[in-house]
Amino acid sequence: MATQPIEELGHVERKLPAVLEIIRENIMKHGNPLALNGTEVSSWAKNMNLPKTGDLLFYTGGEYQLLPFIDSLVKTISVVDQGSKLFAMAIGVRNSLEKATGINAEKIYASVLSQDKERYQTINTKAARILQSLGYDLCYSGDEELYSGALLYELGYWEDLKEYAPRVQRVLQKSGAKTLVCLSPHAAEVLKFVYPKLGISLNIEIKTFVELVWEQRYKLEQASSAPTVVIHDSCRLARELHITEELRDILTAVGIEFREAERSKEWTTCCGGPSKLLFPQLSHTMAERRVKELQETGAELMLTSCPYCLSALEGALEKKDKNQAVDLIEFLYRGIAR
Amino acid sequence: MSNSQKSGKQEKVDLQKGFTDYTKELERARKDENIRTAISRAVKAYRATTDSTMARYPQTPELAAEVREIKTNAVAHQEELLKQAMESVARNHGKAFFAKDKHEALLIASEIIGTGKTVVKGKSMLGEELHLREYLEGVGNEVWETDLGEFILQLKKDRPMHILSPAIHVPREMVAEIFSTFFQKEVKPDIAEEVSVVREFMREKYFNADVGISGSNVVAADTGAFVIIENEGNVRLSTSAPPVHLLFVGIEKIVPTFQDAMKVAEVTWRYAQYPIPAYVSIITGPSKTGDIEKVTTYGAHGPKEFYVVFVDNGRSAMAADNDVKQALHCLRCGGCMYECPVFQVTAGTFGETYLGGIGVIWDAFVAGGLEQAAPGIYTCLRCGRCVERCGMQINVPAMVGELRNRLTSGQSMD
Repeated sequence: MATQPIEELGHVERKLPAVLEIIRENIMKHGNPLALNGTEVSSWAKNMNLPKTGDLLFYTGGEYQLLPFIDSLVKTISVVDQGSKLFAMAIGVRNSLEKATGINAEKIYASVLSQDKERYQTINTKAARILQSLGYDLCYSGDEELYSGALLYELGYWEDLKEYAPRVQRVLQKSGAKTLVCLSPHAAEVLKFVYPKLGISLNIEIKTFVELVWEQRYKLEQASSAPTVVIHDSCRLARELHITEELRDILTAVGIEFREAERSKEWTTCCGGPSKLLFPQLSHTMAERRVKELQETGAELMLTSCPYCLSALEGALEKKDKNQAVDLIEFLYRGIAR
Repeated sequence: MSNSQKSGKQEKVDLQKGFTDYTKELERARKDENIRTAISRAVKAYRATTDSTMARYPQTPELAAEVREIKTNAVAHQEELLKQAMESVARNHGKAFFAKDKHEALLIASEIIGTGKTVVKGKSMLGEELHLREYLEGVGNEVWETDLGEFILQLKKDRPMHILSPAIHVPREMVAEIFSTFFQKEVKPDIAEEVSVVREFMREKYFNADVGISGSNVVAADTGAFVIIENEGNVRLSTSAPPVHLLFVGIEKIVPTFQDAMKVAEVTWRYAQYPIPAYVSIITGPSKTGDIEKVTTYGAHGPKEFYVVFVDNGRSAMAADNDVKQALHCLRCGGCMYECPVFQVTAGTFGETYLGGIGVIWDAFVAGGLEQAAPGIYTCLRCGRCVERCGMQINVPAMVGELRNRLTSGQSMD
C-alpha cells in the first residue's frame, strides 16, 4: 500500500449494472439515452415548418419520443438477468451490438408498435400547436436537438455531464432564443439548476410547457365535455420547480372540475418511474399503488405533465383502463382540435 | 477497506452481484403479504397521528428550524463538543470512552462486561451498527433485547424493518406463533396477551441482570446529560435495575447545552408522531445519595457504575465531508420512511443497517461502505418526499446523487 503513489490512492474502478453504462454511452455517443437518431427524434415536426432560430425555443429533448422504446427495453430487462451476457447484448441496443451476436437490437426497436410511436411523437406536435394557438412563435432545432443529459445527472455520471452539457449548450444557443420551453420537467430541472452548477450559463430563460400555458390560460377555449379529472403532480414539477397551482389554474380556466388525491402537490407520490431501468418490478408496483391513490378519487382521467409519469401510470393501468392516463398536452389539445 | 484494494488496483470491482442479491431481497419483500398489510396500516396511522399532533403543537416546525441550527453548529464543532461531553461524564462520576471504530467499541464493551453475564439491552440503532448483541453473545454472555419489537426479532432471528418499529412487518398471528414456541405454552394472537407474557418474562431479567445497555437520543455536552426517549418503560428498567449501566452513543448526538438537548428531544418525538412519549429519561451518572451525614455515596437504588462509549466509526469523516455532513442532522424519528414510496413496498430491505434513503447514506459511511451501499443508493427514486417530511430538511436526493457520482467516477471514501 505504502509504495503506491498518492494520487492512485482512493481511486477504484467499478463495474455497475450494464443498463447504466449503456444509457451513459448512448447519451455520450448519440445524444439520446436509447440512441434514437436526430431524424427519429424530430420526425414529428416534418410538416410544421418551424424555423431554426427565434426568440422562443421549443425543446422536446427527445423524451416523449423515447417512451415506447423504454417500455420494450424494460420488458427485456424484466425477463433477462442483468448480470448475464445475453442481457448486455440485448440492451446494447445500437451501440455495442455490432460486436454481439444472437439478439438483434433493430428487431427490439422494430417491435415497438407503430401506433405507440405515433402517439408519443404526436404529443410534441400537439404541444407546439397548443403554444402556437396561444400566440407563441416557436423555433426548433430539428434533427440537431440533443437530449438534456438529465439521466447522466440522475444516475451519477457527473463527469460525463460536464463533457456533454457544452454540446447541448451550443445547440440551444445556436437558436438565438431568449426563452426555452421544456416539455419534460426533468429537462427543465437540469437546464435550470444543474447546468449553472457545472459552470454553464445558457443565458436563456428556462420555462416549462405548463408555465407558458398558464400565462395565456385565458385564451384557452372552454372544454366541451367535462370529465372529472385528478392531477398527478410529477415530483420534479412539484418539488423542484414548485409548479403545482398552475396546473389547477389551467383546468379552472377551461372549466374543468378536478379532484385531489390523498397525496398531491408537494406531497405527491412518485410514479416509480425512476427505478424502471434497474428494478422494473418494484417500479411497476409503485406505479400501481399511485394509480390506486388516483383512482380512489373517483375521477375519470388522471392528468400529468411529465413523460415518465405518463408512461409509468399507463403501464400500471389495467388494459380496459389504459386511456385513463393522459398528458396535459393531449388533454388541452382536444380543446383546440375541435 | 474496499475489495479493490485487497485484489490490487488493476482489477475492476464488479458491483453486479451485489445488485443481483439485493434485487432478490427487494423482490421477496415486495411479494410479502405481511409487509404490505403491516406497512399500509402503519403509514395510515402515522399520517393521521402526525397530522393531529402537528395541529395540536403548531410551534413544532419553528422549533425544528431552531434544532437545525443547533445541529449544524454541533457538527461544525464535533471535536470540541466530544471533549466537553467526556469531561462532563467524568465530573459526574461516570467513565467515558472514545471508540474510533466498531472494533474499538466492541473491545471496550467486552472489557467492561466480560463474559458469563446477563445483559438487558434497550433498542439502539448504534447497537445494530456495531452488531452489539451478537458480539456479546459470541463472547459468552446472555443478552436480552428488552424492546418488544426487538425481542420479537431476536426470537425470530430477523432484522429490523423500521428504525422505530423494528418488527413492523410481523403481524400478531406470527408473534403468537413465535411466542408459543419460545415460552412453550399457547400464546393467543391477542396483542394484550402477547405484551403481557413478555412483561412477565422480562421482569426477572431486569433484576437479575449484571449490566443494562442503552443508547441515547441526544447528549448535552455542558452537563453530561443523556436523554433517552421511550414508551415501553424497558429503557427505564434496563438502565436503573442492574448495577451497571453501559451507554453507547454516536458522537453526532452531542449538542452544546442542556436546553439545546431538550429542543432536540421534543422535535425528535414530535416528528416520530408522538405528542409526548411515555418516558423521557435524563441520565447523568451513577445513582447516588447524600442522605447519611451528607456524604455522597455512589450506588444507591440505581446503578453503581455508569459507562459511556462515544462512537465515531465514520461520523467524523461525514462531518468533514461538505456534501454529506447534513446527514448527521438526522434525529432518527423515522418519519421519512413512512413517506418513502420504495419503503412502503419493501420496508427495511431498502437499506441495510440504517434504512430508507437517509439510511443508505449512513450505511455508506458507517456500516459496510460505499460499494456495499451501492444497490441501496441506486434504489432511491430521488423523488424528494422525504425532504418534505424531514424536520431537519435533510436533502437525501442531493446526497444520493453525490454518492452515485462517487461510485461512477471511482472515488473511494477510504
